[in-house]
Amino acid sequence: MKRIFIDPAKCDGCKNCTLACMESHRQDGGKGLYTLDLTDPANQSRNFIVADGKGGYAPVFCRHCDVPDCAGACMSGALQKNMENGLVEYDKEKCAACYMCVMSCRYGVPAISPDRKRIIKCDFCAHLEEGPACVRACPKQAIEVREV
Amino acid sequence: MERFVIIGAGAAGISAAQVLRDVRPKDTITVISTDEKVHSRCMLHKYLGHERDAQGINFVDADFFEKHDITHIACQTVDKIDTEGKMVCYGEYSAPYDKLLIATGAGFFIPPIPHFREAPNVFGFRDLSDALKIDEAFARGKRVFIVGSGLVGLDAASALCERGADVTIAEMAPRVMPLQTDEYAASVYQKAFEEHGCKFLLGIGASDAVVDGDGNITEVILSNGDHVPCDFIIMAAGVRPRIQIALDSGIAAERAIQVDDHLRTSAPDVYAAGDCTGLSGVWPDAMAQGKAAAWNMAGVEEVYEKPYPFKNTSNFFGVTMLSAGRLDLTEGADVLVHKTAGEYKKAVITDGKLTGYLSLGDISNEGLYLYLIRTGTDLSGKTDKIFRLTFADFYGINEKNGEFAYQV
Amino acid sequence: MNTCTDCLSRNTCASADKPMEEYIRQLPLETAHHRVEGQSTKCGFGLQGVCCRLCANGPCRVTPKSPRGICGANADTIVARNFLRAVAAGSGCYIHVVENTARQLKNTGLYKDKIRSEKALNRLAEIFGVTGEDKYDLCVKVADKVLSDLYRPEYEPMELVEKLAYAPRVKRWKELGIMPGGAKGEVFNNVVKTSTNLNSDPVEMLVSCLRLGISTGLYGLQLTNLLNDVVLGDPEIRMAPVGMNVIDPDYINILITGHQHSLFTYIQDRLLDEDVVAKAKAAGAKGFKLVGCTCVGQDLQLRGAHYTEIFDGHAGNNYISEAVLSCGAIDAVLSEFNCTLPGIEPICDELKIKQICLDVVAKKANAEYIPFNYETREADGDRIIDEIVAAYKERRGNVPMKLFTDHGNKNSLTGVSEGSLKAFLGDSWKPLIDLIVAGKIKGLAGVVGCSSVAYGHDTLTAELAKELIAKDILVLTAGCSSGGLENIGLMTPEAAELAGPNLKAVCKQLGIPPVLNFGPCLAIGRLEIVATEIAEELGVDLPQLPLVLSAAQWLEEQALADGAFALALGLPLHLGVPPFITGSGVVTKVLTEDMVGLTGGRVIVDPDGKSAANQLEAIIEEKRKALNI
Repeated sequence: MKRIFIDPAKCDGCKNCTLACMESHRQDGGKGLYTLDLTDPANQSRNFIVADGKGGYAPVFCRHCDVPDCAGACMSGALQKNMENGLVEYDKEKCAACYMCVMSCRYGVPAISPDRKRIIKCDFCAHLEEGPACVRACPKQAIEVREV
Repeated sequence: MERFVIIGAGAAGISAAQVLRDVRPKDTITVISTDEKVHSRCMLHKYLGHERDAQGINFVDADFFEKHDITHIACQTVDKIDTEGKMVCYGEYSAPYDKLLIATGAGFFIPPIPHFREAPNVFGFRDLSDALKIDEAFARGKRVFIVGSGLVGLDAASALCERGADVTIAEMAPRVMPLQTDEYAASVYQKAFEEHGCKFLLGIGASDAVVDGDGNITEVILSNGDHVPCDFIIMAAGVRPRIQIALDSGIAAERAIQVDDHLRTSAPDVYAAGDCTGLSGVWPDAMAQGKAAAWNMAGVEEVYEKPYPFKNTSNFFGVTMLSAGRLDLTEGADVLVHKTAGEYKKAVITDGKLTGYLSLGDISNEGLYLYLIRTGTDLSGKTDKIFRLTFADFYGINEKNGEFAYQV
Repeated sequence: MNTCTDCLSRNTCASADKPMEEYIRQLPLETAHHRVEGQSTKCGFGLQGVCCRLCANGPCRVTPKSPRGICGANADTIVARNFLRAVAAGSGCYIHVVENTARQLKNTGLYKDKIRSEKALNRLAEIFGVTGEDKYDLCVKVADKVLSDLYRPEYEPMELVEKLAYAPRVKRWKELGIMPGGAKGEVFNNVVKTSTNLNSDPVEMLVSCLRLGISTGLYGLQLTNLLNDVVLGDPEIRMAPVGMNVIDPDYINILITGHQHSLFTYIQDRLLDEDVVAKAKAAGAKGFKLVGCTCVGQDLQLRGAHYTEIFDGHAGNNYISEAVLSCGAIDAVLSEFNCTLPGIEPICDELKIKQICLDVVAKKANAEYIPFNYETREADGDRIIDEIVAAYKERRGNVPMKLFTDHGNKNSLTGVSEGSLKAFLGDSWKPLIDLIVAGKIKGLAGVVGCSSVAYGHDTLTAELAKELIAKDILVLTAGCSSGGLENIGLMTPEAAELAGPNLKAVCKQLGIPPVLNFGPCLAIGRLEIVATEIAEELGVDLPQLPLVLSAAQWLEEQALADGAFALALGLPLHLGVPPFITGSGVVTKVLTEDMVGLTGGRVIVDPDGKSAANQLEAIIEEKRKALNI
């Protein structure tokens, strides 16, 4: 399966990945960074960058874990590990917003949507042929897709 | 080629069936369930609230059994297990097994209040069949009395409020959801439910009832002597593991079916998983037990570590809460509270470790708190930013496979 | 720096000029075109204008969790502040140019130097209402009028605004309260305004942009041209060669970059003097030639009828300046303003090209600074010439040459101005107005301004121009966009074939191309004078004309100040990419919608040439309808 590998030493905190993620998942029908709504909490990024307090940055991205805490907690079948491509996939129609996955992910990756009806979690940009938008947007190549 | 039989089609049973099929593509797997349809009881309120139909609360695909070549024998209750002859008996039928998993779950408990155990209009809220009965009762009368304001009671209340019911909830403790909340969080939920038409009777229990000619309870008599008229009652005052089958079959059980750390019962080749083991009452743990039992049944010696049971999330009327650990054990602990408009968080820190955590509001990205609690991670030096912790504070990466690794 | 071809076998950006694109791809030296790919990841916050770096608490950015900077500025304030600061800087650039130009006119008068157009001088004197004892005194008086306005404090309105601008426009500007004060003071004031924790009123800041636009447009653009005409000569329509074919390796070639033609008055004549030509011959060359690049090159081309000996031709626009230098036949660069790309520094080092900077605002790190100083121009001029001859001797034969002799064409129409065009039409605008009324020319489109490369070198400009002429819309250009369009042949008479049937017929009849070159971006002001004169004849205000503007590939802050003038004039202005404003709903709405109600103008953003042309055509048709034509 493919996973986004992170080299935190290269991360500058520019947040291009954050914007690319928002752009990849926007629902307003628009396209392009110029018109991306930067203030819409319903379209928040699936990843987040935290300043580590020592001048560096810690990029926190969904790992699509081998043994995912989130899918292991899901009571509706909405989160499932796809055994073919290894991704932890999310079906928002099945989801009942119980948020046990949010509670269970030991890395604190999933977020809840502002309307409290779904979670916000990385989908590896499965809808894009070119793969994860964050990886392509990083100007430092701090993140890259690798086969594991 | 082995014959696997699973009793119960809940979280544990279905998870076990899935794992068994994954590791044993050719063996026969049979699931016998009292339930007609597979469903997630955690979503039962969506069904009761008429938000979803039965398939909509199924946590696996509709063609799960066909797809995985698993035989599902529905609407049957196993009444005896022949542990010597290795047969399960249900009604007139019996089925042989090489390995058996008991995943009978837990049933709702009716305390010995006069008339409650006999009345036809007292229901639980565990299974789809319960929800169907409640639906029928609701068609005849809209005044519902719910005993217990735990998650189950509030689930049922929220569903019925949506449909315009007149809901009264009695709770023995002085606040709602007493095991997961503190006073403030409980008051927020209480207010939300009251705004949607619920009445709460706190610190009060049901102690007697008035019945009609058919034995239906028409009034609940409270511990303070008040009478509350009602059309039907939902019991949400706890569950008991379904152990009768074990008791009737000579399998060791007291409050729950006893299992070792491989989920083996006292009978050879008989395992148990889920609520019937009493190890936990939470869906994710039942799933994990089902999987672990399945691995063991398939011959992989997998140790099942006892789950950390104190964890809960709730989402009612847009009010979301995450609750983990022991909020009640504050002796000798630091209790820190963070409160702003829209956010309420509480942390209980004992000897430099997080032992209790409550978050009301936006619970995004807070899964790490449960991990810190259940692993007893030392947080010395980090407690001043206890409410702003992220994985960045423990950041580590497994170089080989790119997964994260906690650095403590 | 990279000179190995291996390192540079990476993608260069596309160009509308395909032969040039290929030439640049093969270059062993790095140019802007090579650097586009590596910079293709743009910061989204920057693109939207919501990154604020003004103070030490920053940089702050607008995000869903933090919609305000630490000081409390929201997206509207941050965007408007960034935008106004850019417009102020851009205005400053143009005002610097007109200031220097006026000073040189004044010097010409004081030193009784050559005046090439008394007609231009008298025209200005008439507009300003000044008289002089003689033409030299008039030069001084005219120049002083301009300088005194520029130096006024910002709270004193400039005197010449009402004399220069179209009366209906002045009336509107007074209603809006945007009559500018002293031009330099305005720039100063708006830099102050946009500093930390000062102005946070986005609408007030946008209105200030309009005020800056007016001073930029009337002084920086229009007046610079008219002042230059006096000393350097009126533009004359002629056919000229354009592109790299103009470079003749047999001469000592000097590339000029900048906007201040007035700083070359002395040297361009001196280089033809016998004793100076002798120096060239002694070094083995036939003489000296000035090669044009950037707007000052367009200026020389515009007035080229007066400089046929010294001026070889305009090689191309700003973003091929590196390619031009790379051909090896350029021996020196004389720079005085933008665009003098920092990218030329390593190239000049590598190819031993002498760089001399005449105005410190355009200093390259490895250039020698010999400031243009009227008093010492003779000694300085000789020094410059000697250094250039020395460079020629050192480099020729020692550095590789990669000429591009078949690039460009030999017959582009140039020298168009409000004066020369009117004269061409028989001293009247009537023929042009008749053609427009009759629908033979559907309307006028000014495709002006810069060349940029990030989204393709001149690609949008070229596509837009082609689409417009195909719709029978006559295209007028000025700025580096002209440099791009002329190199791809759109200003040859043959280009009429690309025009729509009506426009094609007009062009063939008059013997003109469908795209008319007014010269440097300063000449956008000339274009606006044309518009004003036509409006006056028709008795309408500028927003009513079937005229649209496009700064399709606007590049820098000057372009934004330019654009502010276009908005103040009430014209629709198309931009290919937004000017870092989309992060603010307020700023975007004011510029693209509400502006119509304020001045009559508005900004239209469209990165696609076809769709932009359609939009602009629709606007022209709307205006025609309103005029009942």
